[in-house]
Amino acid sequence: MLKIILPTMMLVPLTWMSKPNMIWINTTTYSLLISLISLTYLNQLSDNSLNFSLTFFTDSLSAPLLVLTTWLLPLMLMASQFHLSKETLTRKKLYITMLILLQLFLIMTFSATELIMFYILFEATLVPTLVIITRWGNQTERLNAGLYFLFYTLVGSLPLLVALLYAQNSLGSLNFLMVQYWTQPLPNSWSNIFMWLACMMAFMVKMPLYGLHLWLPKAHVEAPIAGSMVLAAVLLKLGGYGMMRITTMLNPLTNFMAYPFMMLSLWGMIMTSSICLRQTDLKSLIAYSSVSHMALVIVAILIQSPWSYMGATALMIAHGLTSSMLFCLANSNYERTHSRTMILARGLQTLLPLMAAWWLLAGLTNLALPPTINLIGELFVVMATFSWSNITILLMGVNITITALYSLYMLISTQRGKYTDHIKNIKPSYTRENALMALHLLPLLLLSLNPKVVLGFIY
Amino acid sequence: MAAGLLGLCSRRLLAVAATRGLPAARVRWESGSSRAVIAPSAVAGKRMPEPTVRWQEDPDPEDENLYEKNPDSHGYDKDPVVDLWNMRVVFFFGFSVVLVLGSTFIAYLPDYRCMGCLREWNGMQEWARREAERLVKYREANGLPIMESNCFDPSKIQLLEDEE
Repeated sequence: MLKIILPTMMLVPLTWMSKPNMIWINTTTYSLLISLISLTYLNQLSDNSLNFSLTFFTDSLSAPLLVLTTWLLPLMLMASQFHLSKETLTRKKLYITMLILLQLFLIMTFSATELIMFYILFEATLVPTLVIITRWGNQTERLNAGLYFLFYTLVGSLPLLVALLYAQNSLGSLNFLMVQYWTQPLPNSWSNIFMWLACMMAFMVKMPLYGLHLWLPKAHVEAPIAGSMVLAAVLLKLGGYGMMRITTMLNPLTNFMAYPFMMLSLWGMIMTSSICLRQTDLKSLIAYSSVSHMALVIVAILIQSPWSYMGATALMIAHGLTSSMLFCLANSNYERTHSRTMILARGLQTLLPLMAAWWLLAGLTNLALPPTINLIGELFVVMATFSWSNITILLMGVNITITALYSLYMLISTQRGKYTDHIKNIKPSYTRENALMALHLLPLLLLSLNPKVVLGFIY
Repeated sequence: MAAGLLGLCSRRLLAVAATRGLPAARVRWESGSSRAVIAPSAVAGKRMPEPTVRWQEDPDPEDENLYEKNPDSHGYDKDPVVDLWNMRVVFFFGFSVVLVLGSTFIAYLPDYRCMGCLREWNGMQEWARREAERLVKYREANGLPIMESNCFDPSKIQLLEDEE
């Protein structure tokens, strides 16, 4: 694990000591090399885990998420190069440092053995993200957004700290690999119910669950492009990953405690998909679509069946890449028109045909087109929920339909039709933007050839 | 007097330039003689006043157009050399190294589910399928039956003597 942690830490001196015109080249190069090294973690030996030391381990669930995290850093750097070009050198280096710190904390979070260390790093990821949103966001609402983001997550996760300390006292150690063998079935009592709630609320807020999702549209919309990318692609998955880990300690309470959250998620995914159909702000649409996809993941994790876990893991990776790509596409629009309103920049297919191809592919993966892993994830979750309760198929079917509807709505309103007169003079697509989209999409398509890598530890 | 003549010449020049449609710079001379007043010609190209309203479709003056100085810009940087090298670095390390070598690595990863584990845990499923196909091919080629009803060779089983 040190083979990616130490290089990531050393990216910080690299940024501060590079020549001014080399900072982007150096950081992009080395972050791509770090992501190459992280691919070795996909060589999981059995359905046990790779244990690197007492503090770090990876298993088939955390390895794909680690690869996603390390892959995202170079993409974030490429996406931010343009809007930071007018900042002073120190500010650029600070921004890159924030991104690198975030990556570092995320790597350690996904590979932490000790649950307290997981918790500390889970909270630590909030700090660089908050700095990125509030300092480099574009509108005045970013302050409110940062507040919502910070306090929702903190309030949700403070009970988790209490619950983990209690578990440490009663079990003796919170080393995750041992805890999964030591757990006793929890008897049904009020204090255990509160402990279940304490453990899960942090991750419910992070996912986010439908009733606690208010921070997400604000944070995603107000963040600069790198902030949006990392929020949508990785930080939401922290919630899913945490839930999958912590539910091993909470049986059999989950059988009945999960019902309210299942109801909220099942209803919420339809609600948020429908809200997407009525959005005028492009980034807001993508943010709500994230809530909808993550609601599927919550449902899958709370059912706790083998197929649903496979679907949840596949969906997390697929959604990470797709959502990040959609935010990059929205940013390419924003950099040209300085507005996020969708209808303001319509008919782009005539003006930027290659970018229209990326829009099409991103929209298609968003609506879970076969044979992408988006479909594999969604299908597994739908099948698992059907076997859990037959009537959920109606809700799932409606959700899939509405997902297709809003993805196509986004495509048609930005790409098709006659372009408006005021965007005739936008600049052609840069190589940087096309490379960014390709680097998002190619891993997604390659994974459809070999999905067993992302199907998690139940596969 | 000479100044007046010069002034006249300049005005005529200006007028000529204006009628020829050439851009005429408005030149105001400070004449040494205080009596000579050289006013700009009334004929010299009357330009429409610059528009004071900024239209939204006009390029935002704060936006830098990377294509202006460097028409081959790849979108990374103003400096063409840095821009070119950035593009090369991204494509080489991003595509040629990580995507190509990385996906080759993943494609050749061993059958990672539970090597040597039980069949119930789906251990070595791909290996088992390949081994079965290999054995079937061998047995068909050599005329041996594909499967025998005995799992183990009966001659090798040593039964215990009957004891009372």
